[in-house]
Amino acid sequence: MELFEMTAASLSEKLRKKECSAVEITRSALTQIEKKEEQIGSFVTVCEERALKKAEEVDKKIAAGEQLSPLAGIPVGVKDNICTEGTLTTCSSKMLYNFVPPYNATVVDKLENADAVIIGKCNMDEFAMGSSCETSYFKKTKNPWNPDYVPGGSSGGSASCVSAGEAVLALGSDTGGSIRLPASYCGVVGLKPTYGSVSRYGLVAFASSLDQIGPLGRSVEDVANLYAVICGRDPMDATSAVREYGAFGSQISRSVKGLRIGIPKEYFGDGVDPEIKSAVMNSIDMLVKEGAETVSVSLPSTDYALSAYYIISSAEASSNLARFDGVKYGYRAEGYANLTDMYEKTRSEGFGDEVKRRIMLGTFVLSSGFYDAYYKRAKQMQQKIAQEYAEAFSQCDLILTPTSPSTAFQIGERTDDPLKMYAADICTVTVNIAGLPAISVPCGTASNGLPIGLQMIGPKFSEQLLFNAAGCFENLCGGFGVAPAMRG
Amino acid sequence: MQIDIQHIAKLSRLSIENEKVEKFQKEMENIVAMCEKLPPMDGDYTAVDPSKPMRLRRDDVRPSLKREQLLQNAPQTQAGCVVVPKVVE
Amino acid sequence: MNYEMTIGLEVHAELNTATKIYCGCKNAFGAEVNSNCCPICTGMPGTLPTLNEKVVEYAVKMGHALNCKINPVSKQDRKNYFYPDLPKAYQISQFDIPLCENGYLDVMVDEKGNTKRIGVTRIHIEEDAGKLLHDESFAGSLVDFNRCGVPLIEIVSEPDMHSSAEAKAYLETIKSILQYIDISDCKMQEGSIRCDINVSVCRPGEPMGTRCEMKNVNTFSGAVRAIEYEAKRQIEVLEAGGVIHQETRRWDDAKGQNFLLRSKEDSHDYRYFPEPDLLTIVIDEEKIWRLKDELPELPNQKLKRYMESYGLPHFDANLLTENPDKAAFFESCVDKNNCKTKNISNWLLGDVSRILNEKNLSLADTALTPEKLTDMIALIEKGTISVTAGKTVLEEIIFSEKTPEQVVKEKGLAQISDTGALAAIVQSVLEANPKSIADYKGGKTNVIGFLIGQCMRQSKGQGNPAVLKELIEKQIENC
Ligand SMILES: [Mg+2]
Ligand SMILES: [Zn+2]
Repeated sequence: MELFEMTAASLSEKLRKKECSAVEITRSALTQIEKKEEQIGSFVTVCEERALKKAEEVDKKIAAGEQLSPLAGIPVGVKDNICTEGTLTTCSSKMLYNFVPPYNATVVDKLENADAVIIGKCNMDEFAMGSSCETSYFKKTKNPWNPDYVPGGSSGGSASCVSAGEAVLALGSDTGGSIRLPASYCGVVGLKPTYGSVSRYGLVAFASSLDQIGPLGRSVEDVANLYAVICGRDPMDATSAVREYGAFGSQISRSVKGLRIGIPKEYFGDGVDPEIKSAVMNSIDMLVKEGAETVSVSLPSTDYALSAYYIISSAEASSNLARFDGVKYGYRAEGYANLTDMYEKTRSEGFGDEVKRRIMLGTFVLSSGFYDAYYKRAKQMQQKIAQEYAEAFSQCDLILTPTSPSTAFQIGERTDDPLKMYAADICTVTVNIAGLPAISVPCGTASNGLPIGLQMIGPKFSEQLLFNAAGCFENLCGGFGVAPAMRG
Repeated sequence: MQIDIQHIAKLSRLSIENEKVEKFQKEMENIVAMCEKLPPMDGDYTAVDPSKPMRLRRDDVRPSLKREQLLQNAPQTQAGCVVVPKVVE
Repeated sequence: MNYEMTIGLEVHAELNTATKIYCGCKNAFGAEVNSNCCPICTGMPGTLPTLNEKVVEYAVKMGHALNCKINPVSKQDRKNYFYPDLPKAYQISQFDIPLCENGYLDVMVDEKGNTKRIGVTRIHIEEDAGKLLHDESFAGSLVDFNRCGVPLIEIVSEPDMHSSAEAKAYLETIKSILQYIDISDCKMQEGSIRCDINVSVCRPGEPMGTRCEMKNVNTFSGAVRAIEYEAKRQIEVLEAGGVIHQETRRWDDAKGQNFLLRSKEDSHDYRYFPEPDLLTIVIDEEKIWRLKDELPELPNQKLKRYMESYGLPHFDANLLTENPDKAAFFESCVDKNNCKTKNISNWLLGDVSRILNEKNLSLADTALTPEKLTDMIALIEKGTISVTAGKTVLEEIIFSEKTPEQVVKEKGLAQISDTGALAAIVQSVLEANPKSIADYKGGKTNVIGFLIGQCMRQSKGQGNPAVLKELIEKQIENC
C-alpha cells in the first residue's frame, strides 16, 4: 500500500515510528495529484509550496522530538469556500476568481496549529449551490469510481480528492447535504457536525443558519480526529456553541450494543432506489446482530423539508451574496454606464445561472407582501421538523436512513432540471434544518458499481455516538478506502 | 404563481439576457410551486430563542488591517479608497 | 386657512464606545481614510459580526433615560439594500423587537417652565455606513469605510410635535441627555447626531395628513428650517387644490430647499429578515436595573429643579443645564452657600462663559474652582470690591492659582468706603456740575446715577457706589 492510500491514523503512526517523513507523505499525495488530477479535477488550487513548507516544519518537529498532533503531516484538502490567508479562495465562482483573503478561517488556523498539511483548495458547486459539482465556474469534478459520473456536491472536490488518494482528509461544508451527499457518491466518510460546534468564521456564507464545516476521510477514526481539531467555541462566531468537547478519535468504542436505532418510514418510500433500500436495510441487520435494536419512528413533515430548505437557504443566500458587487473584491465587469449598471453587469457576468436562480428565489420570498407566505412559513416548518426529531429521539438513540435516494448520476444528467437536481438532497436537508449532526458511511456498491451511503443521524452534540456506531459498522464491512480505479 | 422575473432580477441587481428570461421565468415558477407545498401553520412565530442567549463581545480594541491589505483585492483604488462610478444621490 | 403641522423625528446618534459595533476596530472620528477597518467591518466574504456589549448597555441606558420599556429579549435583523458605502449590502439593525420601546420625554416648551410629553416609539441599535467622497477633479466617487460599523442608536419619536420650536426643544433635550449619560459625543460638525424628519399638515380637527420624510438633516437649526419649509410646501400644494404624496425628500440646507428623492412607488424593498449570524440578545433583569441605577439626574429634570427650587428663570436654568460639567460646577458653587444663587448664574453665564468662548476652552481647562468663584462673588456682595473690580479679579483667578483675596490685595482693588476720602471726591464732582444739582432739586432725581458715575471715575472705580450715593444725597441737601 502506498502512502497516499493510507489513513491518517496509520500515517501518523508511521511518522511517530520514523518509518517515513512528512515530506514523503506530502510528495506521495502530490504525485497522485499529478497523475489523477487531469482526470478527476478535485482542486481549484493545488498548494504545493504551502504544503511542502508545512511538511518540512513537521519533519523538524519530529527530529526535535516534539509531541505531534494526530493530524501532523497529514495532507488535507480544504473546500474553496473556506478562507486561506494568502491563498486563492474562489468559491468556484468567476465572481471570486482572483480573491486572496487577508485572513484565515478559524478552522484553517486550527488545522495549521495542529500541523496538518493543506494540500489544495477543493472544487465545489459555485458558492456551494448544487448537488453535483457541475456548477463550478472552473471545472467539473469527476467521480473517482467512474469519471462519467458526478462526485456529488457541493463539496465534490473534497470528497473526490479523498476518494482518489489526492488527500488523506478534507474539509467540506454542508448546508443541505453538501458533505454527506458527495461522501456517499464517492464512497468516503463524511460528517455534518451539529450546528454551532464548528466555527463558521472564514467560511464564505451560503445560508448562515444552516452552513456547517465538516470533515471527510477514508475512515471513521480519521474523520473523528479531524472533527476533534476543528470543533470548539470560537468567539469570532456568535453562533458558535458555548460548551466543552472531548477528544473524539481515540475514544471510539465501535460498539452498538443496546443502541436503539430509529427507522423512519418516510425515508424508505417510493422515491428511494430499491437497491439502496436493501443495502441500508442489510446494514441495519448487521448492526442488530451486533446488539442494536430497531425502533420505527416517524418524521411526518419530511415531505415539506425540501420546500422549507429552499426558502430559508435561498433567502439567506440572497442577502449573503449581495456583497459581491464589484466594489471591494473579486470580479468587476467592464464598460458600465453608472453604478447600478456596474452592479448589474458585474453580478450577471460573475454569477452562474444556479446562483442567480437561488438569489432570485431568496429575493422573492423576502420581498414585500410575500414574507409571511414563504419565509415565515418555512421558519415555522423548521421548528416543526426540529420538534419531530426531538420526539423521535425520545424513542431511539440514532436514526438510520439512506444518504441519498440514488447513487451518483451521470454528468449532465440533471443540469437542465433544477428540481430533479434538488431532489438529491431529500434525505439530507432535514438534518440541517434541525441543526443535528449526521454522518454518511459507505455501505456497499450498487449494480452500476457505484458506492451507496448510509446516513446516521443523532441528537445535537451526539458526534461521539455517531463515531461509535459508524466505527462499529466500519469494522463489520471491512473498512473503506481509495476508489478502486485510483489505487496505486 | 406568476413571477415578475424582471422585477425580482432588478431587486437582486441582476440583469437577465432576453433569450434567458423565459427559461428563468419557467424555472422560478416551478421552484416557487414546490415551495408553495408548505401548508399554512398555526402558532406564533418569533425568531428569538432566549434559551440560547448570545455571548457579547467586550469593548476591547483589536488591531485593524493595514490599508494595503484591506484594499489588495479591490478592482480599482485611488488615494487610499475604493473607486466606484460617480454616485449622485 | 389655518393649518396644523405634525412632526415625527428619527434621531441617529453615534455611540462613543471604544470599538465598533460588530468588530474590534477603533471607533474614532477623523482617522486617515480606510485605516480603522478590518475584514469584518468591510464585509469581506466569510467574516461574521460579534456584538459589542457596551452598545447594548448604552442603548438600554438611553432607554431608561427616555422612560422606555426595556425588552429583555430582542433580536437583530438585516435591512437589505445596495449602496457602495454599505459593504455587506445589508445593514444590521433591529426590526420588530428593538431593545427599547414605548417611552416618552418631557420637553420644556416655554419659558414659564411648561413641559410637553413627546412619545418615544422605540430605540434600536444598528451599524453606521461608510462615507462617499466626491472630488470634482475625478469622474468617480471614493469610498472610505472607516465609519462602517460605528455603533448607532436610532431614537424614533411619535408624531407628537406640532411646531418647529417643539421639535427643536425635543432635539436639544435628546442631545443633552446623550451627553449627560455620556454615551455620545454629539458633535454635530462630525455628524455624530443626524435626524430624519417626518412632516405632515392638516386642518385643525381633521385627521393627520400624508407625511413626507426628509433624510439626513445634520443640524438642529437645519431641522427647524427644513420643517418650516416642508410644512409651507405642503400647505401650498393643498391650497392650490393638490394632494400630498407620501415620498422621501432630500433637505439641502445650503439652498434652503428640499427635493424629491423617491416616491412611495420607488421606495426601497428592504427585505428585512432576522440576522442569522447573531443569536438572541438576552439581558437579565438585574443588569437592566443596574443600568437604571447608574443614570445621573437628567438635564430635563435638572432644568425643572433649577427653576423650581433655585427660582432661576428658564433662560438661566436652560443654559446652566446644557452640559453636565457646567451644571455640576454651578451646583458646587451653590453648595458653598456664601453668595446669591442668581449671582452665581449671572457670573457663570456672563463673564465666565465669555472668557471660555473667547479662548475656546471648557471649565475643566481653567484654574477656576467653585470656591474661588463664590469667594469673589461674596466680596462683591459684601461691598469689598465693585462689580467692575470683580471682572478684573475673575480674569486673574481663572488662569492662576491665586485666590480672589490675593488679587484684590495685590491690585489694590478694595473699594473705598472711607467717607472722608470719598467726601472730597463728591465735593469736587458737585462743584463741577451745578446744573445737575439744580436738576436734582427740580425733581429729576435720576441724575444721581450720572453723578455716581463721575465720582466712580475720579475714584478710579474703587469708590463704593452705595456710600457715594449716600454722600451725594447728603451734600446736595446741604447745598
Ligand atoms: Mg435606521
Ligand atoms: Zn473592523
